[in-house]
Amino acid sequence: MKYLTIALAKGRLAELSTELFGKIGLDCPVIKEKSRKLIFTDEKNRLKFMLVKATDVPTYVEYGAADIGIVGKDTILEEGKNLYEVLDLKFGACKMCVCGWADKALPTGFIKVASKYPNITRDYFSSKKNQTIEIIKLSGSVELAPLCGLSEVIVDIVESGKTLKENGLAVIEEICDISARLVVNRVSLKMEKERIMGIVDRAREIIKNDNNN
Amino acid sequence: MRRWKTQTPEGALDVLENECARKRSVEGCIMQTYKASGYFEVQTPTFEFYDVFADEFGDFDQSSMMKFFDRQGRILVLRPDLTTPIARVFATRYADVPLPKRVSYVGSAFRDGGSVAGAVQKEFTQAGIELIGQSSPEADAEVIATTIRALLSCGLEKFQIDIGQAEFFKGIMEQTGLCEETTEHIRQLIDQKSFVAVGELADSYKIKSELKELILELPSLFGGIEVIDKIKTKSLGARAKAALDNIIEIYGILVDYGFEKYISVDLGMVKGLNYYTGVIVKGFTHGVGFPVCGGGRYDNLIGEFGRSIPATGVAIGIERVISALNYQKAEFELPVVHTLVCYDTDRSDAFKIAEGLRSNGLCVEVWTGGGDIEDYANRRGIGGIVRIRGNGVIDIKNLVDGTTTATTVSELLGGEGK
Repeated sequence: MKYLTIALAKGRLAELSTELFGKIGLDCPVIKEKSRKLIFTDEKNRLKFMLVKATDVPTYVEYGAADIGIVGKDTILEEGKNLYEVLDLKFGACKMCVCGWADKALPTGFIKVASKYPNITRDYFSSKKNQTIEIIKLSGSVELAPLCGLSEVIVDIVESGKTLKENGLAVIEEICDISARLVVNRVSLKMEKERIMGIVDRAREIIKNDNNN
Repeated sequence: MRRWKTQTPEGALDVLENECARKRSVEGCIMQTYKASGYFEVQTPTFEFYDVFADEFGDFDQSSMMKFFDRQGRILVLRPDLTTPIARVFATRYADVPLPKRVSYVGSAFRDGGSVAGAVQKEFTQAGIELIGQSSPEADAEVIATTIRALLSCGLEKFQIDIGQAEFFKGIMEQTGLCEETTEHIRQLIDQKSFVAVGELADSYKIKSELKELILELPSLFGGIEVIDKIKTKSLGARAKAALDNIIEIYGILVDYGFEKYISVDLGMVKGLNYYTGVIVKGFTHGVGFPVCGGGRYDNLIGEFGRSIPATGVAIGIERVISALNYQKAEFELPVVHTLVCYDTDRSDAFKIAEGLRSNGLCVEVWTGGGDIEDYANRRGIGGIVRIRGNGVIDIKNLVDGTTTATTVSELLGGEGK
């Protein structure tokens, strides 16, 4: 039997995903260990798990290098790849927001917006708000940008809002809800329908039960 | 040296001899299959006016076309596909040709990834067929069957052709009476097979429960032909029902072709719905993350050029077929030089011998000087060396076993050379 390859976004999502796969009965204990290995093979179920950088998950899956991926909706929106997004896994929940100084409204004219998500930012401001902006692409600690005057506002994911609050910032507008998604390569779903849909159906059941409890 | 002098642009490739040989052989098999079914090749320009591809359908995003200008300032594009130019031909140069007519094509198409992630080469090769002027399911089945035969002809073993129907989704959405924007939203979710999100969205609108169930099921309505039996009993409108009947009919014809094992159904195929007006076709195989072929019925496209005639066709992505063949480790013959002819003084004898051997079907090189002959022959993997010694005497050295035999010009040419 052919291996099914599953790409997991490194970090907390990978831990939660491993837990989910455990509940499905596809145990992948090696991932839990601290290891430098990048691929973990489950010979019994003919599965391969790969740990990749979150932003790369959609790329691996689009090319078919991975059949299945688990990644945040933020990455899917930002990367805009051609995938099947079959399931909302509900975990890793947060919101994509426009944030700025807690005591100031969003300026209406031309503004500078710092973000790790230039595509989501462009789409929101140009298509939804019709506002001309300059996007400043950053790779981390985006909250710094308004603090040091690099930009008026930022677009970023907000989980608890703690970092914002401690720095005198707040959510100004919510763009959309974010959570982890199960994505599938468009060819794999067709060529390996039984096995992939088996995983999808079992995951769907577990999520349904978890959210009812 | 200038910075980009030695590089090719992203998305463009040099195809070197072994890959090129494989590519030509795949193209050759496919084109031969097309030709054998009456699809003769036509060629259209590599670049056309932008207006040819810019239309209401929006099938080709402006940002995905590679554009430049002519001297009059008109916008030109490198063709993003080969079907649209053929539609133009049928409305203009072929306006009086008797229908139905079959044509085939092979050539490069160009798409710029731009901001949209394309994950594909910007220049790629497509080979395809169009059956113009007929709206019957027989026509649709014929282009699908011909495509299957073409894929088989180049050695592809395990593949699957999905068929869907553009009218099915349009029919169901017409029944719900939902606005265009919501319909488009649902279409996107079904296209992504977002099972749960489709449900949540459908829940937020007042739709008859039976229709809602159907919409919920749409993303999972793919698999064998039995997928259709599952929903045939539901209360479908005339339009959706006709779409299902069309698939059943096309499937029935493909059974008579003996090709049912390659066919699957996907009622959730809802891409390019402005372009496709009937059956939608997509082909998949192991080892390639993208479809190897795609097409369907496009009855409105030629009308865009001023002549309303129905048409159907499927295109094969040559590079993707080659990837699949490589994945499947399909054997193929590498091009080889069989014989190297060299001479001391009798040049005209050498040329005669070389031509004589070529006319017997061998691939023959004539030594043009420089370096060590045997060294060269070994490096190039040449099977043997024919050395013209003078006075009609010839040495033949077999490089595989190292033996040398002597013969004469007239003997080697079997009398023809005299």
